[in-house]
Amino acid sequence: MTQAETDEQLVRKSQQDDERAFGELVSRYESKVYSLALKMVRNPEDAEDVLQDTFLRAYRGIKSFKGNSTFSTWIYRITANSALMRLRKRQLPTVSIDDADEREAPINIADWAPGPVEQMLNQETQAAMTEAIEALPPEFRQVFVLRDIEELSNAEVAEILDLSVAAVKSRLHRARLKVRNRLATYFTEPRTRRAMGAQ
Amino acid sequence: MMTCKEVLESLSGYLDEDLKQEVVVEMKKHIGLCTDCRAEFDTLTMTIKLYRHFETPQMPADCHDRLVKVLELEKLKRTSDKE
Repeated sequence: MTQAETDEQLVRKSQQDDERAFGELVSRYESKVYSLALKMVRNPEDAEDVLQDTFLRAYRGIKSFKGNSTFSTWIYRITANSALMRLRKRQLPTVSIDDADEREAPINIADWAPGPVEQMLNQETQAAMTEAIEALPPEFRQVFVLRDIEELSNAEVAEILDLSVAAVKSRLHRARLKVRNRLATYFTEPRTRRAMGAQ
Repeated sequence: MMTCKEVLESLSGYLDEDLKQEVVVEMKKHIGLCTDCRAEFDTLTMTIKLYRHFETPQMPADCHDRLVKVLELEKLKRTSDKE
């Protein structure tokens, strides 16, 4: 049985102009790159643009990839940067990550729908979750998606985004609070409206 | 005992099991007694749980085809630049 080549071997071959090896790296990572891009930009057309931009940059830059990080970290970094640029370009009124509109102060949230997560995850809740991500400033969104949706570690997120672990933790905490506050509004205020809509 | 402000600032670290043991003990004690912080803890936990189950559509098959075309064009460009 032939053993699958490692990413490292494929990278080395790609650096020697082996097109097949680069094609194999594309096959291995295209779905992951698309998925990460879609979670960040929340729009299929933009996600596809990010996908193409990411692999074009990787193709052009593979020879300068020194192997200080893994290929997956490198490709995720390119994806995150490409997505960030796209988000900044289309951003409506700019929300600085330092803006103090966060309602981070304790709020009274005793009224979330009870029950297992699977039961709560209906279409409407997913839409509210998408909106909550879209409302995040791009720099917070990057950290939140990588950490809480992709489930990477703080250290991995720090390496991908070229931030300190402390900066990741700080952004993550603020992002989580912002998202939670948005969801709290969804779970509490529109309840009557939702109930009426369901009739 | 920790204040509510201190508890709120450490909630993410608490959920990620990224705090010193003595802080964890203090947090547990506070959350057990304070209804507001308990609500903060519960809703933040639920938020994270929800996103762990968040579904993203698969990459459409034609996306792969277009990506291959883009890379083929780049390859052609590279070859013609060399000539």
